[in-house]
Amino acid sequence: MASACAWSVALVGLEGRIVEVEADIGAGLPRTVLVGLPDSALYQARDRCKAAVSNSGQEWPISLLTINLSPATLPKAGSHYDIAIVAAILAAQRVFPAEELRRTVLLGELGLDGRLRPVRGILPATLAAQQAGFTRVIVPLRQAGEAELVDGIEVFGIGSVTQLVAFLRGLPMPVVEPIDVVGEPAGKYANRRLDLADVVGQVEAKWACEVAAAGRHHMLFHGPPGVGKTMLAERVPGMLPDLDVHDALEVSAVHSLAGFNLADQLITRPPYSDPHHSASVASLVGGGQRMAKPGAISCAHKGVLFLDDSTEAQSIRFSCQPGCQFEACGSSRANRCLFTRVAAQYQCVAEAHPPRSLCNSVKGPRSKVS
Amino acid sequence: MAATESKKQIGIRGEDLACAELERQGMQVLERNWRCRLGEIDIVAAETGPTGLTLVFCEVKCRSGLGFGHPLEAITYEKMRTLRQLAAVWMREHRRKASSIRLDAIGVVLVTGQEPSVTHVRAVG
Repeated sequence: MASACAWSVALVGLEGRIVEVEADIGAGLPRTVLVGLPDSALYQARDRCKAAVSNSGQEWPISLLTINLSPATLPKAGSHYDIAIVAAILAAQRVFPAEELRRTVLLGELGLDGRLRPVRGILPATLAAQQAGFTRVIVPLRQAGEAELVDGIEVFGIGSVTQLVAFLRGLPMPVVEPIDVVGEPAGKYANRRLDLADVVGQVEAKWACEVAAAGRHHMLFHGPPGVGKTMLAERVPGMLPDLDVHDALEVSAVHSLAGFNLADQLITRPPYSDPHHSASVASLVGGGQRMAKPGAISCAHKGVLFLDDSTEAQSIRFSCQPGCQFEACGSSRANRCLFTRVAAQYQCVAEAHPPRSLCNSVKGPRSKVS
Repeated sequence: MAATESKKQIGIRGEDLACAELERQGMQVLERNWRCRLGEIDIVAAETGPTGLTLVFCEVKCRSGLGFGHPLEAITYEKMRTLRQLAAVWMREHRRKASSIRLDAIGVVLVTGQEPSVTHVRAVG
């Protein structure tokens, strides 16, 4: 009877692929069918969207509603398709002209009250939309700043379904209390502004740090506890130059995907990541069932990865060796068959204690680190 | 509609309206509220089309408001499955033959002081 479509983005690692969300209102008993390889979070979008639409003063169609996410072969995960699904349904009911959704990508999760909730990965998704030639992106209000970091695409932040409808109809938007972004602020380390000049003494170690920073070499600190290895390592990224625009976008995109709050600005300083030696392989290299979740190594992309007590950690040795060699650590778990490019190019600074029993002295721990 | 109208009366009124709707569409109502051991068929109607006679077995659901959702939402997959079985029993007992059969659903909303709304959905089973 009636159909319409809207667009959203599926994130495969850091790469976004455009997803067409089609809604068809056909003859049949009232039922909502969601097809196109959704995961369980996405399958529940039916119920979220239904409640959100009813609570926004709009009507959910009383007939057979089929929602298709195309390309149907690409597995889709996450909750950010909600707003695109609702937009397609409302356009199919001619609540607003379906042409309004052309060249527009919609991203955001819906609450039952119809308000739009922030989602992770807005930055890489917006980048993908811009590269695919879309001219407009609609995102949760509080994440408009993050989406605006991408040039060449119009960004609109909206707070709820009622605002979306008013916006696409060209009517004045009602006032809605937006939902705030949660998540640890990114670039927390850079704000600490640690300087190598603050370290007293340690002339040789400081010189070694400078050489390593200048040449982007990996380093291994070796010394007894309390001698200042961590203190020196923390100051290595402070010596590195600012990231260029391309790198800053890439690093920010990784952090956006990892669920950090970018606070509307690009990460321009080299990041620093210091996973604990008991960290698991998954938390280091990243994972995620279908939607990639970058790990600690990916969060050190274009920056410094500090491995405290590296000889203690089985998982670190296991996961970082290929990383050092190939300068890229793929999160192979993130997608079952699609290889995900959550790459990490980083400078590795490792640290090791001499063993408690000094029989094999220096050779002991170092032989474990390659 | 009187305020004291019982559930049964609401149901009967809904079925009256449903029959009127089917007749308006050119169908001939053959039987109403046919019961057997398995359950009840609300309406059996016949429609003559270019492909011959079609027997239409119709489930009617009537509600006096939308507070509990649209009546069509209450017609479940199980109800339609039962209706399909009932249709076979009805045809066997009446020795009726048809070129095709169809299962329809009709939702009726009766709100006091408003025109009743009848929604007819064809071929749902």
